[in-house]
Amino acid sequence: MIYTTKKEPTYQQKAVALDDMILTKDSPTSAGSKMLENFTSLFDGTVVEKLAENYEIVGKVTVSEFSRGMLADSAVAALDEKQIKGVIGVETNGAYTRSAALSGKVFVKPTYGTVSRFGLIPVACSGDTVGVMADNAETCEELLSVIAGHDDKDGTSLPQEMIEKAKEVTPVKKVAIVKGFDGAAVESAVEKARAQGVEIFEVDGEILLQAKAAWAILSSAEFCNNVSKYDGVKYGYRAKGCRTIEDIYVKSRSEAFGTDVKTAILYGSHVLSSDNYEKMYDKALRVRRLVREYLDDLLTKVDAVMLPACSTANLSVNAISVYEESLYTAPASITGLPVVVASGVQWLGKPLAEGSLLAFSKQL
Amino acid sequence: MQDLLDTLEKVNQLALTQDEKASVQAYFERVAQDLPSFAEVDTQNVTPMVYVMPLSNVLREDESSQPFTRDDLQKGAPEAEDGYWEVPRLIE
Amino acid sequence: MEYEVVIGLEVHVELATNSKIFCSCSAKYGAEQNEHVCPACCGMPGMLPIVNKKVVDLGMTAGMMLNCHINRTTTFDKKNYYYPDLPGAYQTTQLFAPICVNGRVDIETSKGKKSVRIKQIHMEEDAGKLVHDDWRDLTMVDYNRTSVPLVEIVSQPDLSSAEEVVAYLERLRSLLRFAKVSDCRWEQGSMRCDVNLSVREKGSDKLGVRTEMKNMNSLAAITRAIEYETARHIDAIVNKTEELVQETRRWDDEKGKSFAMRTKETAGDYRYFPDPNVMPVVIDDVWYDRIKATLPEFPEIKKQRYMEELGLGDFDASSLVESRAFCDVFEEAYAECGLAKDVANWILKDCANLLNKKQMTADMLAIDGRALGKLIKLVADEKVGRANAKFILAEIFEGATDPEKIAEEKGFIVSNDTGLIEKVVAEIVAADPKSVADYKGGKEKAFMALFGKCMRELRGNCNPQVLRELLLKEIEKA
Repeated sequence: MIYTTKKEPTYQQKAVALDDMILTKDSPTSAGSKMLENFTSLFDGTVVEKLAENYEIVGKVTVSEFSRGMLADSAVAALDEKQIKGVIGVETNGAYTRSAALSGKVFVKPTYGTVSRFGLIPVACSGDTVGVMADNAETCEELLSVIAGHDDKDGTSLPQEMIEKAKEVTPVKKVAIVKGFDGAAVESAVEKARAQGVEIFEVDGEILLQAKAAWAILSSAEFCNNVSKYDGVKYGYRAKGCRTIEDIYVKSRSEAFGTDVKTAILYGSHVLSSDNYEKMYDKALRVRRLVREYLDDLLTKVDAVMLPACSTANLSVNAISVYEESLYTAPASITGLPVVVASGVQWLGKPLAEGSLLAFSKQL
Repeated sequence: MQDLLDTLEKVNQLALTQDEKASVQAYFERVAQDLPSFAEVDTQNVTPMVYVMPLSNVLREDESSQPFTRDDLQKGAPEAEDGYWEVPRLIE
Repeated sequence: MEYEVVIGLEVHVELATNSKIFCSCSAKYGAEQNEHVCPACCGMPGMLPIVNKKVVDLGMTAGMMLNCHINRTTTFDKKNYYYPDLPGAYQTTQLFAPICVNGRVDIETSKGKKSVRIKQIHMEEDAGKLVHDDWRDLTMVDYNRTSVPLVEIVSQPDLSSAEEVVAYLERLRSLLRFAKVSDCRWEQGSMRCDVNLSVREKGSDKLGVRTEMKNMNSLAAITRAIEYETARHIDAIVNKTEELVQETRRWDDEKGKSFAMRTKETAGDYRYFPDPNVMPVVIDDVWYDRIKATLPEFPEIKKQRYMEELGLGDFDASSLVESRAFCDVFEEAYAECGLAKDVANWILKDCANLLNKKQMTADMLAIDGRALGKLIKLVADEKVGRANAKFILAEIFEGATDPEKIAEEKGFIVSNDTGLIEKVVAEIVAADPKSVADYKGGKEKAFMALFGKCMRELRGNCNPQVLRELLLKEIEKA
């Protein structure tokens, strides 16, 4: 299934789809979970309001449960039907990045704080970012300019004057590639960049290898907290035949959540336990700073960092494989830095460099 | 490991099947392989980074409004009556 | 062997704000169930927390009143546990950088003066309310109180008797009400207290096993609970009646006993972590100074000033400083008329009566103090009679600000026309020879009857002293 809901677009040039992590009041939002099968929000997400002014939202593409899976393949399929311009989706653990790279689409994950998170089903709040997937960079640029903007309803939303800076374009002339990050499509992407006169430097970014474990720790803890509200009491799925409150909690959650979600919940609460907090959660927050500082410093010397999007074209979909693949996406997820996926790889820039990265990707 | 998973199940109001427990255990073990090198990163003089963008004082004025009605909020409730959400009798 | 009890308190105080801490729902007490609720405070996904600035203002105010150090950067954390009164299964609170630390509250008991150290004050959200229906075997959930802002004031274990605890709580309540941090109403749950108690050999520096009694909501119950729990601990230590364990207990005031709780509080590990959705609050000097400037005089300093500078008696001064609203009106009215004793009387008698009739508390006195001052001046200048002045006060209660205008409109301005008074007196005396005879025969009451008749005829608009003299003169003539 590609769409959870769908109407026939009347005006193709203005047709867009949302992923099922974005709340809409006129159709259910289920986040790919049995827990929220019949849940309809009472309000629209800010991006929905912004899009509705000039675009036609034709439907919602399905997601893996809480977007924690390997791929965002429904978004790709929806684009391939050629009836829509682009898909607006929430990148939380690399699914859009991998799918765009493997299908030859362009995806932009803008700087954290440039697109409002008001009205998203939250997964890992410190990293969740609304992005755009489309056939080309021009469309990503167009749709990003619609959904980006300051929002008083999101406490992490950047000031408008900062967000405006993301439109500025500076040429990408120097690109770093990082030792230890071998993966799909790197060689051809390097070729394409060199053909545009870009200088390529190899750097020894060992700390970036630690982003994977750090992001697994931070994101699963935040996820665990974000899905604890789904308890069968207020809305959503409630198991049948519950005689105590514990019954409602345990049966509803156990019946409605899939194994990967349960895995993340258990791991998330594990890293937050008082025995582990310091050596795991707090440590991961510190590693996050080191990763960010490393990249901030590197990005004063180069204009972009190229990272593979995934290891291979043949990805299996279980939680361990997703963890393995997050090696490539975690540096961007954990730092909130902007990424453009084009030519099958990730191009990562300094804060608010998404405009420059998109302009660069058009040349590839 | 079994004890740990049992505790975590309870804490998170979940009951896992044996198969599920096996996958969870495999995941824990896989991540654990990466932890020794993670632990070796020198973070002694590094402050934790909770927020990736440097904002502060995102505040609102003390004004109240009530745009949603109780009936709307309880439309999807598994059990609600007389304006209350309802659950089985709790024992304190 | 002698034993001593060691007590530390966690006091929860709901802040006097219009709206909740992280969403714009009303924070007012007393609405119908689930009327003050939105998707955020009933645990639906998608809304994000935005901190109410007033909550930070009041958190700082509380800290300054309790001599705390204010953390200039303060942050919020999530505390995780499942319970139906907590719709998100987490409470946003402050663990790592609470707004205030290291304070002090001075108390006085029969044993003398003592300082109680404050460990910290943190801001957090309240939980919802559960109503148990035994008839239908259900628990009903009301989220109106969910996310109502609180400060939790955590003391060091410096208290050593129920008397000290009561003195400490009364002092806290007085200071916080004075600074308008909270209305601190035990009966409405806007002030609640968790009591941590342990017993040890007197003089020992090692603490005994600690038990906690949660959500105590009256001074009398707290006193009984401390006495019971102290006795239970000593009994357990001396007579080995039971093994004490660190636990949370529920105080049943009707049964006069405490019971071990079997629910949420046994969870223990709350898995706190910093909330990435709520950015740090940074308090700069401008903000700090602005709050500092709004702090009221401490009640005992005010009382002393009222007595020494304004000449009030101990009783009047003490009564006024019971209520910040009384003090505010008193000071405004005094500034207007300069008659401290009169103003105190009007507030403590007449205003208090009107509040009573309306079933309002002293803190709810919200009249224009300058209007009261003007009215008192009119009475003192003998321009308006006392009875009519009471009528005008009722108008001031309804929001009137110009007593002189009301007096003119109602015809309440005292006549200085002795001719008119003489005429009325002559008529009344002539018409009631019996009362005149009774008075002359020694019945004092008869004079008051005649006086009252004259006053009514004059509609109160005369100087009672003048009336009295003219009436006596007329009776003598008769």
